[in-house]
Amino acid sequence: MPVTFHIPGALREFTAGQSRVEIAHSPKTLADALSALCTLYPGVQDRITTEQGQVREHINIFIGDENVRYTGGLATPVSAGSEISIVPAVSGG
Amino acid sequence: MIGQVLGHCRVVAKIGEGGMGVVYRAYDEVLHRDVALKVVKKDARLDATSSHRLLHEARASSALAHPNICTIHEVGENEGELYIVMELVEGKSLAAMSAGAGLAPESVLRYGVQIASALARAHDRGIVHRDLKTANIVITADGLVKVLDFGLAKQVGSGIVEGPTGSFASIEKTSSVSGTLPYMAPEILRGEAADQRSDLWALGVVLYEAASGQLPFEGRTGFEISSAILREIPNPLGPPVPPGLWAIIQRCLAKESIQRYQRAGEVQAALEAVQSAAIVSASPGPDQNAPRTTVLHSVRHVHVRKGDFLLLVGTTKGAFILRSNAQRKRWEVGGPYFHGHNVYAIVYDARGDQHRIWASTQSYWGALLRSSDDFGKSWTNPQQAPIRFPSDTGVSLKNIWQIALGRADEPNVLYCGVEPAAIFETRDAGETWSLVRGLFDHPHRPRWMPGNGGLALHTIVLDPADHQRMYVAISAGGVYRTNDGGRIWTAQNRGIRATTMPDKYPEFGQCVHKIVMHPARPERLFLQSHWGLYRSDNCAENWVDIANGVPSDFGFAMLTHPKNPECVYIVPVESDEFRCTCDGRLRVYRTRNSGASWEPLMRGLPQKRAYETVLRDAITADAFDPVGIYFGTRSGQLFGSRDEGRTWLKILEGLPSVVCVRNAIVEDASSHLRPTMPRTVLVPSHQTKSRPKSKTRQPKR
Repeated sequence: MPVTFHIPGALREFTAGQSRVEIAHSPKTLADALSALCTLYPGVQDRITTEQGQVREHINIFIGDENVRYTGGLATPVSAGSEISIVPAVSGG
Repeated sequence: MIGQVLGHCRVVAKIGEGGMGVVYRAYDEVLHRDVALKVVKKDARLDATSSHRLLHEARASSALAHPNICTIHEVGENEGELYIVMELVEGKSLAAMSAGAGLAPESVLRYGVQIASALARAHDRGIVHRDLKTANIVITADGLVKVLDFGLAKQVGSGIVEGPTGSFASIEKTSSVSGTLPYMAPEILRGEAADQRSDLWALGVVLYEAASGQLPFEGRTGFEISSAILREIPNPLGPPVPPGLWAIIQRCLAKESIQRYQRAGEVQAALEAVQSAAIVSASPGPDQNAPRTTVLHSVRHVHVRKGDFLLLVGTTKGAFILRSNAQRKRWEVGGPYFHGHNVYAIVYDARGDQHRIWASTQSYWGALLRSSDDFGKSWTNPQQAPIRFPSDTGVSLKNIWQIALGRADEPNVLYCGVEPAAIFETRDAGETWSLVRGLFDHPHRPRWMPGNGGLALHTIVLDPADHQRMYVAISAGGVYRTNDGGRIWTAQNRGIRATTMPDKYPEFGQCVHKIVMHPARPERLFLQSHWGLYRSDNCAENWVDIANGVPSDFGFAMLTHPKNPECVYIVPVESDEFRCTCDGRLRVYRTRNSGASWEPLMRGLPQKRAYETVLRDAITADAFDPVGIYFGTRSGQLFGSRDEGRTWLKILEGLPSVVCVRNAIVEDASSHLRPTMPRTVLVPSHQTKSRPKSKTRQPKR
């Protein structure tokens, strides 16, 4: 079972317009899955993480319904069939 | 020719002929191997210099030992004829194999990886191919790719070839541009130098052709092809071409080289990722054909002509471009560009015969420096942020507050002041940026404190006369100066009061909001602090208070008159607690005697319930005579004066909060562009006859 990323509109210019990207091999962690996504679509990398490799402050990543901030961040395990959503936080003015 | 011996190679048979020369099959009688022998035509307009270059370049290329590069064994001269002995490659050209409907995606990926690998090796040695095309790529019976004619490449950085007309490839054509038109990158058509990214463009064309059998940019004439290369987006490649491969091709074919992959190794890695089949993509969404370059169709564009006057407005929700002419009466509004992003800095750069607008954008997705060469119709959107802190700093970029152009004689130099406080510089017009370590490693840095807006280096002032001298202002760190081009920085805050610290006159830590300099008096600086207005007459060695007759010495914006070095504009606000114009009256203050006295400028500006703030970069002056002054407010109003501030008109309202206002006269401000308007054309809506004589608001000291 592949892992599926849901790509927000702001990033689709970097994923050839796709709203869903599947990673067919079996990443063990969110970091593995993100690495695979960013290898295929490199423009996504700097939008999601800082140059120091941290997920940006106002970007949330959910595996299923769980925000990974509370489940181990990039080390959060990913299982087959996981749906990963990249969502900007509700903040700002 | 058949039967002759060149060097130690006996010519066996003719196998081909091109514009440059004839290719023979030959036998190396010393090493006992079959080789190809290319003899350069005598009439190929090869003078002594060109011949020397060819020898030099071919010898450099002979060092490229790589399984996917056709090896050059020997270069020599025989009775005035140049010849090249190279590996004999037998197979089919990729051009022939791609004809028709193109190759299966698996083959395109397999060959593409090898071509990219060959380019990576050459680029690492500083060699650019400059004529990569499917006709120059041979696939052997074993499926091995051989890229031919690297011997014709320009050796980057060697200095032996100064311009495109000096390249060897030009002897193949009468054109002054080397290469083959349908594979040429836009920058080459614009007459710029080819670099390794021009090869990556050609690789994109090769992959497109291999995948579809079609060229991405076609036309009946050279003009049509050139026009397509420069302006058009290729027809998208759908199934069976996997979206991942299409994305790679699109990125190779980005019009601006900075938007492409920067290294062949990156293309190779990306192709391998698609090839490995470890990653497959879901069925494409409806936006699959979205172009790589962000072309903002939903945004209104202005059509800029020579002689136009522009206002560039950065706001907290995007940027706007206002177009007018020298009369500055009617305004056409373009934008918003960068929907929803903070644009803290925007600037026009006409150095080096370009019309480039630089803008910094900041949002959830990070901070980026972007540029447009067509007045906002398209903007670069680099895959990787060009301004980034090195990993050893442990620091991440939050925002770009200031874009400062280098001096006029350094058209490729720019500086960016960023948050967290640091300065970055580029010496290649923004292609690569580096952190100025001298300031970042300053022992004071750990003790700088963030201001309300963050710990930002928001102001950069270059000494126009002394190329080694530069000033920066940091909130809250104070003023720092370098006299040696950025290696050593010293705090220059003597005389500036720090209201929020126990020691009122510390070495550093003042919250300086803005410093300005008039280029005719580079030793003199004016300064708007968190509380306090100052002037220095000795390159910031010490500062004197000049808050003589202003309603408050708190404020952000500060501007020098472009022609009168004694004249400075500010927009005081009441206090740090109430950051609005004093008494609800919007008044610009001006000194014409270097701060000995200040006068309010308010005709045409609202004087009732106008609780406004003008931020530090939200004011600008044009170069017309009389000078025009423009400023924007946090409430989204834009005001302008065509008579140096005597009278004002509202240009626009309803904008998002204005952070930055800059202006541009497109093309030189030559005399025929100077306005002829009468100075009394503006009818002020609010007139105040007497100047208010209120006491300067200052903190309790």
